[in-house]
Amino acid sequence: MSIRKTSAIFLRDYGGPEVLKLEETEVGEPGPGEIRLKQTAIGVNFSETHTRKSPGGHHANPLPLILGREAAGVVEAIGPDVEGFEIGQRVAYGLRRQQGAYTECRLVAAHELIAIPDEISDETAAAIMVKGMTACYLVRRTFEVGPGHTILVQAAAGGVGTILCQWAHHLGATVLGTVSSEAKAEHAKAHGCDHPIIYTEEDFSARAREITNGEGVDVVYDAIGKPTWEGSFKSLKPRGLMVNYGWAGGRVTELEPLDLMDWGSITFTKAALTNYANSRENLVSLAEELFEVVASGGVHIEIGQSFALKDASLAHEALETGKTVGSTILIP
Amino acid sequence: MTKAIRIYEHGGPEVLKWEDVEVGDPGEGEVQLKHTAVGLNFIDCYQRSGLYPIDLPATLGTEAAGIIEAVGPGVKDIEVGQRVAYAGGQSGSYCEARNFPANILVPVPDGIEDQTAAAMMLKGMTAHMLMFKCYAVQPGDTILVHAAAGGVGTIMCQWANALGATVIGTVGSAEKAEKAKARGCHHPVNYSEEDFAERVQEITGGKGVPVVYDSIGKDTYEKSLDCLGSFGTLVTFGNASGPIPAIEPLELMRRGSLAMSRPTLFNYTADHTMRLKAAGALFDVVASGKVKIEIGQTFPLAETAAAHTALESRQTMGSTVLLP
Repeated sequence: MSIRKTSAIFLRDYGGPEVLKLEETEVGEPGPGEIRLKQTAIGVNFSETHTRKSPGGHHANPLPLILGREAAGVVEAIGPDVEGFEIGQRVAYGLRRQQGAYTECRLVAAHELIAIPDEISDETAAAIMVKGMTACYLVRRTFEVGPGHTILVQAAAGGVGTILCQWAHHLGATVLGTVSSEAKAEHAKAHGCDHPIIYTEEDFSARAREITNGEGVDVVYDAIGKPTWEGSFKSLKPRGLMVNYGWAGGRVTELEPLDLMDWGSITFTKAALTNYANSRENLVSLAEELFEVVASGGVHIEIGQSFALKDASLAHEALETGKTVGSTILIP
Repeated sequence: MTKAIRIYEHGGPEVLKWEDVEVGDPGEGEVQLKHTAVGLNFIDCYQRSGLYPIDLPATLGTEAAGIIEAVGPGVKDIEVGQRVAYAGGQSGSYCEARNFPANILVPVPDGIEDQTAAAMMLKGMTAHMLMFKCYAVQPGDTILVHAAAGGVGTIMCQWANALGATVIGTVGSAEKAEKAKARGCHHPVNYSEEDFAERVQEITGGKGVPVVYDSIGKDTYEKSLDCLGSFGTLVTFGNASGPIPAIEPLELMRRGSLAMSRPTLFNYTADHTMRLKAAGALFDVVASGKVKIEIGQTFPLAETAAAHTALESRQTMGSTVLLP
């Protein structure tokens, strides 16, 4: 059994960006069903700054912890009972529940890995796995967005929002999106959002009705929760669909079925990538559709900044002080 | 001068009065309709008793078939003598004749009798909305229908068969299980004897169903959620056991990104094109013989009170039609 040295960013105590420190550690041989991956690019997501600060809610992980849910790399060793991969192959992953991506080398379950096509760079793959597969199930599974549809995206300039707007626009839909500032409205507009609405300046659901000549939209995609809850429902046309996929602004604990009727025979779904990627087949199809739309240019991924892995603390600091544009990655 | 059933106060069937009424000329966008058959529904009893609010005095009734006797100004595509039917609009179908908005009417094809049309409009359009709009039933689907022996339930069971789906249906007695089975319910489950959620898991090999149609509400909704496979839809469209309390959205995610739909027919028939399409699909499936509308009994319209008594004491079978 050979042991390989690697370096990884460890979280040993919750706190500010400075708690993220590079340490030497070891990786063993891949076990049954596992692959050892030499990582080339690691995606950084805003949610990881929350995990760094406090144990948080129901996704609490014991310390010490290596953060990160997505990365790209090269297959370095293959464990027993693994089929369909070869040494040297370029692959990427986006995990739903576990962490552990802020490292130069790691073991990953082979069923989490997706082959990266030639047209997609490692940096791009690392930046989009979780956000892009999320956007994919939203526009392709919860509802099949197409020409003639009008949709409303909450937080249109955010990580998922930027991909979601471009993808829906590419599919022929008219995209309305909420943003908090003029600068973000510009960003959203440049990324497929036909009608950015600055919600800090105007009532977004009234504005959504105005834009749609009083009709309302076919679907609302909302990962904000409490602050936007009722407004989102009121932006829908009769028989519309409300998709909630997160609680960034606070969790809603009660949904009155009769409200759905009063708002116009609305359908509500509470969606999660965990469910939409619940089998190897479903995971692969999400990733492949994502790579296809990115390779075709339908969705453009902007890597705004990259940091060396050892400087993960600087990456977090940049994210938390609003100094980033587009996606942020770490390079081992 | 014409006759209608009127109510002046809420109460038992005795508040339904048979009276002379005047019907003037049809107004802008209206036609004058001579009813040939009037449908009876539980919603009429709820409006009579006061459970559902309604302004008094009133004429009850939400569906009927009839013949156009006069056409008001601005009405197109409808002519005197044409056979038509409707469900919805303002209540008031318990009458020999009335003026009614032309845009709510649908023409009745030759293959459908007036009594059949009057008996099925509301329940049949509801079944169409549920199985084609709220969740589009696919060939090979296994679906769960609560109250499978009821008015909407028996239409759904038959229609689902025509669509190539397998139907699991809940019923309250062995007798109703037989009735549901005779109307295309492949797996009747008597909920007073068996746990329907367990039966659904058994029948589907643990996969669950993609849709549950639930008109029972409070007593069933939680187990209905247990019956759904990942990405399944709970369509709740009635409150026979009381309204569903507020649910926790996270529960829908924990059970596999489920959806909940709470439709009302108005939102699916307000648009003229949608309404004609739904009615067309209903007439087609009934004319083909794949869905049979069973008229168990008829009453003279003047004896509507007796019809209400029969319905509320569970003495009716299938649909009930009132004849002017």
